[in-house]
Amino acid sequence: MKRLLISCLALAAAALSAGAARAETTLEKIARTGTLTIGTRTGSPPFAYVDKQNQWVGFSIDLVEKFIVPALSKKVGKPVKVEKKESTPATRIPLLTSNAVDVIAETMTDTKERRESVDFSLTFFYTGAQFLVKKGSPITGIDTVAGKRVAAQQGATNARILREKVPTVQLREFPDQPAAFQALAQGQVQAYTNDGIQLAGLKAKAPNPNDWAIVGAFYSNEPYGMAMRKNEPDFRNLVNQGLAEAIESGKYFELYEKYFGPKGEVPYPLTSEAKRLLQAAAAEFRKTPGGALGSPGK
Amino acid sequence: MNYRFDWSVLWSGQSGAWLLHGVLTTLAMSALAWLLALFLGILAGALRTAPLAPLRALATGYVEFFRNVPLLVWMFFWYFAAPPLLAENLRDWLFDHGAEFWAGTMALGVYHGARFSEMIRAGIQSIPKTQFEAALSTGLSTGQVYRLVVLPIALRLIIPPLTNESLNLLKNSSVALTIGVAELTFQTRQIETYTAKAFEALTAGTLIYLVLCLTIAAVMARVERRFAIPGMIARVGGAER
Amino acid sequence: MDFGVIYRNWDFLIVQGLFGIGNFVGGTLRLAIPAMLLGFILGIFIGLARLARSAWIRVPATVYVEFFRGVPLVMVIFWFWFILPVVLRIPLPEYGIALAAFIFFESAYLGEIIRAGIQSVPRGQIEAAASSGLSSAQTMRHVVLPQALRNMIPALVTQFIVLFKDTSLASIIGYVDLTKAAQIVNNREIRPFELYIFIAAVYWLCTYAMSRYAQYLERRLAPA
Repeated sequence: MKRLLISCLALAAAALSAGAARAETTLEKIARTGTLTIGTRTGSPPFAYVDKQNQWVGFSIDLVEKFIVPALSKKVGKPVKVEKKESTPATRIPLLTSNAVDVIAETMTDTKERRESVDFSLTFFYTGAQFLVKKGSPITGIDTVAGKRVAAQQGATNARILREKVPTVQLREFPDQPAAFQALAQGQVQAYTNDGIQLAGLKAKAPNPNDWAIVGAFYSNEPYGMAMRKNEPDFRNLVNQGLAEAIESGKYFELYEKYFGPKGEVPYPLTSEAKRLLQAAAAEFRKTPGGALGSPGK
Repeated sequence: MNYRFDWSVLWSGQSGAWLLHGVLTTLAMSALAWLLALFLGILAGALRTAPLAPLRALATGYVEFFRNVPLLVWMFFWYFAAPPLLAENLRDWLFDHGAEFWAGTMALGVYHGARFSEMIRAGIQSIPKTQFEAALSTGLSTGQVYRLVVLPIALRLIIPPLTNESLNLLKNSSVALTIGVAELTFQTRQIETYTAKAFEALTAGTLIYLVLCLTIAAVMARVERRFAIPGMIARVGGAER
Repeated sequence: MDFGVIYRNWDFLIVQGLFGIGNFVGGTLRLAIPAMLLGFILGIFIGLARLARSAWIRVPATVYVEFFRGVPLVMVIFWFWFILPVVLRIPLPEYGIALAAFIFFESAYLGEIIRAGIQSVPRGQIEAAASSGLSSAQTMRHVVLPQALRNMIPALVTQFIVLFKDTSLASIIGYVDLTKAAQIVNNREIRPFELYIFIAAVYWLCTYAMSRYAQYLERRLAPA
């Protein structure tokens, strides 16, 4: 009886504290629910996409499930399962700030502006904005798109940069990548701009990959990071632990090979530059207080 | 609420220009689509009451097929599936001159034309048959009877439901953002994208829609009083979206 | 033309897209049916509030109805998408957001149908019920609502058709309904003409069947 009363009181207290000023941290939430909710894409192969078996898979989903989840499970002392939700460039930050997801694991570029509203993990992928065109197109890069019809994704960084660099470009913005690629495939636009890797993914998935070419030097640098709510160092350190460990042990590169190697979903060779940057970032993180091997913050 | 309001995002930077551009696009697309819908609606509405069966079937087919499929599907259809049926140079010219705008206009106009026609048919059928026969007996042809007697009366009778349906058309133009038309809702999203201030951006867009709808409703109420036919109360339904 | 794309992806389009059985919490019907039922329940309150004697109840209900009827559904969906999680402080799946948006949006329209239905009950009935000693709540429950419901069935079916079509807009926030399923498949196969004509046909079949049913009901329930 007494125990019942105490548990009732505890429940009431929990209910009250839920509405109280201090919201629970992401780690507390994961410990309570045993679930990590990630925001990810449905049409960005190979980072996150729906495959032919209609399974929701991808490189960034694997990174979370193989490296970050074990680190989390160890921390909260129980198995953690992953729940996936669709995010798009326009919805990522609202999804995070509204607590709808705990981490954005897709193709989100780590930028200065975004750092004002979210925190980023270590960079887990390096790419830059290029153009996807039909083979033989006169468009060869950013210096040849003036006056041309170019598709972009609403809410993505490259649309903004392109508009600033080439004001005369006829930019057409679409809510999502399928619509934008469809517009390119059918001639509504003459080029589609996005991060090189995204374009490589689209090209690999297209019915005839050889009809398409990815052109131009990077006109913007796009380091991808996983985004989290601000000011949660414990959670961020855990995510970074998982990523750093994957890079140091070489497992990251095995996974990279699986998705981006010659036999992978999307062939996109890892440049030596990108590899060096990845390893340097992991080493850098190890030097920070939260990056020591073992469990962060006790 | 851990949300910091910052209304200044609406008048700093390009937000104002975007919103204005969005309103103009919404109005232009709605106006053109409305004309197309009225034309198709009158044509199909009249044909559905025509004495020739094939004409009736044609109009019925148009109305039933276009009215019963979501507008969003028509947007995708007109933008993605229809252009390949055109000649290449015409297609390219279109894509260079705002194809998404025209596809959106087509989708809106054709979809709402099917819905207008239902009201117009109801308006025509609310006119007593005797009046029709009387007009014929004065020596007018069937076409003339429609043009000079039936349609003018029917159109006056359906002003209230037509207003309602026209407002639906205006509101439905927002669906065109899915094919990249930079209308008002698209621009609202654009502000949200650049400033991450969803609440302020959505409030601005919502208020503009409300003002547009209320203004049009007020104007149409005056028109209705101006053209009201004494002794004829419209008994024409159609208050669905 | 290659309609094989439909055959190859039949399961994903119909089982997942239309019925919502599969890896995604999606489905056109899975959204439309609960939205209609819950929207109707909320709509009863809205409709009754619109007829209330007290301005304190009537005016807010009128503002509510006018607000939702003066704003595009796409806008309402975005509102719920951005605002709901912030206000509730809990994560919400697309399904929850879409469902909430549809319930509130539709309840404004359904409320108007219900109000018209209640007003269609002759005054004499209400007076007779009151003089037989029933309280106003009892009158509402036993005399007015049953008759009002019968009078509004055709309008309700029509509204359900509208709602059924409107659910396609939930695809904008990533809800996997029939339209989104077609888009996902199109992303792989680039067959827009076949896919869009096919889903148009599916929508058409469903809504046409419902509208024929509405016409049948209208004839059957017409006051003799």
